[in-house]
Amino acid sequence: MDPKLVEVTQLFERFKAACKRSDLDASATLLSQLKVLLTKFPSLPPLFQQTPNAVEELKLAREIYEHAVLLSVKMEDQDAFERDFCQLKPYYMDTCGILPPSSMEYPIMGLNLLRLLVQNRIAEFHTELELLPAKALENACIKHGVELEQSFMEGAYNRVLSARQTAPHETYVYFMDLLAKTVRDEIAGCSEKGYDYLSISDAKQMFMFSSDKELQQYIAEEHPEWDVKDGRVLFQKAKESQPCKEIPAAPVINQTLGYARELERIV
Amino acid sequence: MAAVATVSSAGGILAMLHEPAEELKLHALASLNSVVHLFYPEISTSIPTIESLYEDEEFDQRQLAALVVSKVFYYLGELNDALLYALGAGPLFDVSEDSDYAHALLAKALDEYASFKTKASKATEEEENVDPRLETIVERMLEKCVLDGKYQQAMGMAVECRRLDKLEEAIVRCDNIHGALSYCINLSHQYVSHREYRCEVLRCLVKIYQTLPHPDFLSICQCLMFLGEPETVANILDTLLSGSKDDALLAYQIAFDLVENENQAFLLNVRNRLDSQTPGQSNPDSGSALPADQTVNAGATSTEPAGDVQMGDDTTTANGNAHPVDPNEAAHADKLAKLKGILSGEKSIQLTLQFLYSHNRSDLLILKTIKQAVEMRNSVCHSATICSNAIMHAGTTVDTFLRENLEWLSRATNWAKFSATAGLGVIHRGHLQQGRALMAPYLPQSGAVGGGSPYSEGGALYALGLIHANHGEGIKQFLRESLRNTSAEVIQHGACLGLGLASLGTADEEVFEDIKNVLYTDSAVAGEAAGIGMGLLMVGTASEKATEMLAYAHDTQHEKIIRGLALGIALTVYGREEEADTLIEQMTRDQDPILRYGGMYALALAYRGTANNKAIHQLLHFAVSDVSDDVRRTAVMGLGFVLYNEPEQTPRIVSLLSESYNPHVRYGAALAVGISCAGTGLSDAISLLEPLTSDVVDFVRQGALIAMAMVMIQTNESFDSRVGTFRRQLEKIILDKHEDTMSKMGAILASGILDAGGRNVTIKLLSRNKHDKLTAVIGLAVFTQFWYWYPLLYFISLAFSPTAIIGLNSNLEVPKFEFLSHAKPSLFEYPKPTTQQTTTSAVKLPTAILSTYAKAKSRAKKDAESKAANQEKTAEAESKANQEKSTAESKPSQEKSTEAESKAKTTEDASGSTAGEASKTQEKDGDAMQVDGAAEKKAPEPEPAFQILANPARVVPAQEKFIKFIEGSRYVPVRPAPCGFILLRDTQPSEAEELVLTDAPATVATAAGNNAAAAAAGPGSAAMAVDDEPQPPQPFEYSA
Repeated sequence: MDPKLVEVTQLFERFKAACKRSDLDASATLLSQLKVLLTKFPSLPPLFQQTPNAVEELKLAREIYEHAVLLSVKMEDQDAFERDFCQLKPYYMDTCGILPPSSMEYPIMGLNLLRLLVQNRIAEFHTELELLPAKALENACIKHGVELEQSFMEGAYNRVLSARQTAPHETYVYFMDLLAKTVRDEIAGCSEKGYDYLSISDAKQMFMFSSDKELQQYIAEEHPEWDVKDGRVLFQKAKESQPCKEIPAAPVINQTLGYARELERIV
Repeated sequence: MAAVATVSSAGGILAMLHEPAEELKLHALASLNSVVHLFYPEISTSIPTIESLYEDEEFDQRQLAALVVSKVFYYLGELNDALLYALGAGPLFDVSEDSDYAHALLAKALDEYASFKTKASKATEEEENVDPRLETIVERMLEKCVLDGKYQQAMGMAVECRRLDKLEEAIVRCDNIHGALSYCINLSHQYVSHREYRCEVLRCLVKIYQTLPHPDFLSICQCLMFLGEPETVANILDTLLSGSKDDALLAYQIAFDLVENENQAFLLNVRNRLDSQTPGQSNPDSGSALPADQTVNAGATSTEPAGDVQMGDDTTTANGNAHPVDPNEAAHADKLAKLKGILSGEKSIQLTLQFLYSHNRSDLLILKTIKQAVEMRNSVCHSATICSNAIMHAGTTVDTFLRENLEWLSRATNWAKFSATAGLGVIHRGHLQQGRALMAPYLPQSGAVGGGSPYSEGGALYALGLIHANHGEGIKQFLRESLRNTSAEVIQHGACLGLGLASLGTADEEVFEDIKNVLYTDSAVAGEAAGIGMGLLMVGTASEKATEMLAYAHDTQHEKIIRGLALGIALTVYGREEEADTLIEQMTRDQDPILRYGGMYALALAYRGTANNKAIHQLLHFAVSDVSDDVRRTAVMGLGFVLYNEPEQTPRIVSLLSESYNPHVRYGAALAVGISCAGTGLSDAISLLEPLTSDVVDFVRQGALIAMAMVMIQTNESFDSRVGTFRRQLEKIILDKHEDTMSKMGAILASGILDAGGRNVTIKLLSRNKHDKLTAVIGLAVFTQFWYWYPLLYFISLAFSPTAIIGLNSNLEVPKFEFLSHAKPSLFEYPKPTTQQTTTSAVKLPTAILSTYAKAKSRAKKDAESKAANQEKTAEAESKANQEKSTAESKPSQEKSTEAESKAKTTEDASGSTAGEASKTQEKDGDAMQVDGAAEKKAPEPEPAFQILANPARVVPAQEKFIKFIEGSRYVPVRPAPCGFILLRDTQPSEAEELVLTDAPATVATAAGNNAAAAAAGPGSAAMAVDDEPQPPQPFEYSA
């Protein structure tokens, strides 16, 4: 066996162990070492050179990145998640002819969908969905994400919040928590447009807060432009009318005169 | 395992860029660099990330980042940004990479650099703010081209980028330096639009030339002429003259080539320098032979250390040592005299004259048809016919037609008379020795008042100018006196034009003063000519005088004077390009449309033959936006002058204008095509002009016909069938009673131009070396003024140049010499003489004899052509006999006509020795016939793919590429290009040479002096023998 491969495998074992121990710092360091080592393999994307150990290397790399994704969830680091997922994706998309499918593929895909939903990147969410084969949609993990998105779009926010209980994988919990906040932001955005003001109790119910204090805190953190007065939440301040656009008179006149002159010159 | 993984996205790699670890970023960048051509759309969204990597001072692969960004920008089509980052990529940007990216960016870099350099050269104060990185790239590129052996590319780039040091390097490292240099010369003329820079390039080239072991003096001198350095040219010529015999030949050849460019002022300078050098050179010569020989030797060795030349020098040295100095020096003086003869232009003019005279093939039947078709009372057509005759016989000295139609000619009165007399100047153009004698009967008599009509006197002065155009040293004084001694404005008019022509471009102060005095009399007629005359005198000098002229143009009330001055000012900036911009600006913004009109000419002439984009834009702008029709017409016409170096372009550029609603613009478009495509027979040009020849407006038809004739000159029917159609169209227009006078005049002139100079000349605005021919361009420019003033029509004769190859030996004589033309003779032969035309005119004339004669004659012609070589001699003898008879017969009639003429025009007393003359002329005619016969004999072989031509021969421009010199013949040409005058090296100098043209027949024939009619007897009869007028005995003798 290739010594490099051995080295990576060994390191990977240590990494897995660290993960198990939930020693986040150690595993992060090990991970970055692993990644650097992986760059030495020419069989990995984007080169895909056909070396004798290509399959093993690819498999190993895929596993490493899968773990990396999971680690990032554990570390609650969304950027790292995105980064690692992006790097993992070629192993799913481009190597399906070479490698047997991974058991972690759909959970991770689902996780990514969830992340996009959390970050309210709906367009990308659908792009990802389109890229998946039809049968993948039947997978519980994917289905979960799809349903969530549908409820989210319909405005059935209750269903979104209650879906936390039905999460198909333990890693999903982190994102489900975040989703609640996304939902709240969405509601806030709509209310702002829809109402001039809301009474505190209505607002509390609308934003699904259990106490006034939570509401106050939310407003103070996220929407300092709102006013809380006389038991009401006032949104007007946010609705400042934009100045109407000026008519670009001078350029239009110039252009018209230019045409007139050109017409004169027609031979 | 069969499946191969393909990358579907760069997302993974891009994500890697955000990794905190340096190695991963590096790896990501490297991967991106390899897939950027596939995933640039994806990568483009991450450009800011990569840019920030590039800007991160800590990052050690900033250049790689820059390269990736540059590539992405390239694929996005943002070349400017791409270049900026490619520069940042430093050495990673590989100039030798064979990819679209590298090519595109290199091109961009060169463009950028070139424009930087161009700007830098304009704003001299801060020259070196070019990005040094850009400079490095360009230099690497140049270096690579040189290493790869792509020298031409390297030279082109160096010229473009204004890197003369690199240019020099490329040329010197090139394996074929001579090829490279001539390529560069071409380059500098075609692509360097800035005049000053072109001079720099040429100077650099000359410098390289001079360091070579075998300098190509022909090219050097051409460059030097453009640079205006007569001193160096004189030095070179002098060195060559003192060298071997072959060197002297080369010197002659150089001189002929210089003369071809018609730069009178420059040639004068060279001649003067030669004069001033010779005493300096010969003084030590006479003192002691030894040092002189050493200098000669030193001169030769320094220039050509080749063994064989050295040998030649050694022998001369030995001779010089053995004998006293005299023979050597005498030989040198002799050579010098010859050289000066050439430089003065006299030799080439004389040879041309001989050629045109002996090869004259003009078709008098055409003229006759015109004459009969034209109504007597219509003076426009009448004088157009006279002009047409003059053009047809330009430079041939054949004035038979005039002599035969004296009574008809006498209908020309007033200005028509002026024109008619001036026409003689065109016919006798270049007859330098006899010119004054020829015109004597018409010239104003010094002392005697009221000798003749002022019109013919003025015309005669103008004619003298035409005869001596651009070679007026001898006649200048006389013209000045005539100008000073008269107060009649018609004579002043003629004298001003004559003086201007004779001292073209010499910028002679005294002459200028004389003409200026005439201008200040503020007489409209004289003032107009004065304006033009001043312009001619100051051609291309860009002198301060132009401002003076402009000021007077503002002062005067006479439109004619303003117009003359406007044209004159335009002439002064001839060829000055950017230098003239201020003046042009001043003129084109003037309130007065006539001055704006002059501004158009100034623009056209300043940028003549440069195809300068700026000038073209400006002209097009005026062509569509000026309010005055005259200005618009001239602006379009000006395009023709600007574009004559690229005739293929003109039809395309003016094609829209030729469909304009404005007839003036259409007229201008026609002439623009005529001017720039003159003598090319270009198919596009003909297609564009064809519809215009049947335009609804008469003057457009006129312009189109003239332009068509200019394009088709010397093209025959087998080359382009439309030539035949056009000839028939002309005939139809001339014969049509209901045709407008304007277009009729156009048709008459067109038939003249079509057969100009006895069918042996073409209109050529560029010399062989792609230099502009000053006289020709000026001639056409003034010619286009005929719109206002018909006498200016004759200026077209300045544009004619003979299409001949004339080989000369070291004594500047014409030896017997043959060469090949690798093309079917029919492609380039003379057009068939008009025979069917006689039958049409026969319908009008009640002369039954004519038609039979025509038949017999055509039969006789065929017979003559099919005659074998052994019959040749008898034929010649017969023709000689004919000649004698015909002269004898024509004698009395001509004497009668002399009387008739003396009624019409004032002639001097008849000459005394008519008899002696007659015998002389007959002899000479015999000679001429022999020459003709020799030329004839070579032509008709059954279906030959080639043709052997005998020196001197008519070779039309299109034919030149088919000319081959025969290997192993006695004479070897000094320069390979087959056209014009060619010096021949004699490989068997010991044998006696056989000469073809020993002496000028025309000179003796017309030496008659005062009696003009008698003088014409010689050439007249020669022409008749070729193709005219019933001579009953002839057909019978041939058919017998």
